[in-house]
Amino acid sequence: MLEVRAGNIARLEVLFDRHHKALFGYFMHQTSNRAASEDLVQDVFFRILKYRHTYQPETSFRAWMYQVGRNAHADHASRRKPEVAMPDDAAFTSAETPADRQMQNREEADMVRRALALLPPEKREVLVMSRFLGLKYDEIAAILKCEVGTVKVRVYRALRELGDRFFALGGERAS
Amino acid sequence: MNCERIREQIPECLAGQLDAASRERLIEHLETCAACRADLAELNVVWRGLEAMPQPEPGRSMRSRFMETLEAYQEGYQEAQRRQSYTGSARAWWHGWWPARPVWQAALAALLVIAGISVGRYLAAPRAESSPEIASLKGQVESLRQLVALSLLQEQSPSSRLRGVTYSYQISRPDTQVEQALLYAVNHDSNVNVRLSAVDALAKFAANPEVRRALVDSLPVQDSPLVQIAIVDLLVQLNDTDALPALHKLSADSQADEAVRQRAASAADKLEVTK
Repeated sequence: MLEVRAGNIARLEVLFDRHHKALFGYFMHQTSNRAASEDLVQDVFFRILKYRHTYQPETSFRAWMYQVGRNAHADHASRRKPEVAMPDDAAFTSAETPADRQMQNREEADMVRRALALLPPEKREVLVMSRFLGLKYDEIAAILKCEVGTVKVRVYRALRELGDRFFALGGERAS
Repeated sequence: MNCERIREQIPECLAGQLDAASRERLIEHLETCAACRADLAELNVVWRGLEAMPQPEPGRSMRSRFMETLEAYQEGYQEAQRRQSYTGSARAWWHGWWPARPVWQAALAALLVIAGISVGRYLAAPRAESSPEIASLKGQVESLRQLVALSLLQEQSPSSRLRGVTYSYQISRPDTQVEQALLYAVNHDSNVNVRLSAVDALAKFAANPEVRRALVDSLPVQDSPLVQIAIVDLLVQLNDTDALPALHKLSADSQADEAVRQRAASAADKLEVTK
């Protein structure tokens, strides 16, 4: 990123190749909309170009990229009606992942996905960051601009609520 | 250690990120606390369930779209750098020629005046138009550029529209149609980046008071704080004191983004000083 900041713009290609899939996954969890997520990824990389001089080397590039991503998503959300966070099956089934290969109990996987979609956005976000994006607590703290201890508490509470919703869905199904 | 503190460490433990000492303490606690054991067991089920969730993959066209934008941006960037180096070298050239001593400066000035009068007399003499073909060719190239910029600005894909905005930089003479298309992009384009670039491009047309007025009118209707800030900065750069009422209004607007309000207030202060 330091090279990009110094004017070697073409090097952004390397960063795009390294991070765009994870960033796309982040937006998919936030919007449940494939086209909007792809646009948002483009938007983030454009903003990185435009505001490259504001990048501080003390921050990890990933943390900075997700900060830019959160702003882009906030702009996107303010322009549209509130999203219903309920991903359809097609949105989350990739061509490279056969439906029944990874999960022995497909019903259970379906329930986890539904429970995740039912979480309030800020809780879903912190779980996605920690579970799917592999971000460390100090990186999440930098993105959310809070203390590491706060992140710890938030991730636990989000996971606990996910658990409650998951088991409630299981109860509904059993009854 | 109390149960609450212990439970906060469960996600880290499940992710395998807990350090050895904390993990030992957690296990020690779990041996004696049935409630925390049950919590860990439940959360483990959900954590594993998340692991099994398929992760969405982006479409193949995404990379090519990105490369298109990157190339367009690079083109614009290199063009700007070329222009900058040209102005830099022109300045250095001028410094090399301009004498340091006042006597020589006066002499050079007198020489220039005489040269100016002679050239003026020579040019004022009646004669046939030197090269109408060149003038007409220049006109054709110019309208071609306008045409390309206009058609790109109407494209479906945001990266093409961005290229349209970049292209508009190459037009030497302001053209009403291009100006209107850029203003339309500022107010109506669905993509924030296109709107931002259009604001930058409009700086070139700023001599026209109508453009400045349109930018001021656009301020309250913009929904992106980034675009609002870009417009505010441009108005300050243009020293547009007519924008003061709108800036004051924006800085007091409780609905507006806080950063926007602050920027509008500081812009108003700067313009008040120059007024």
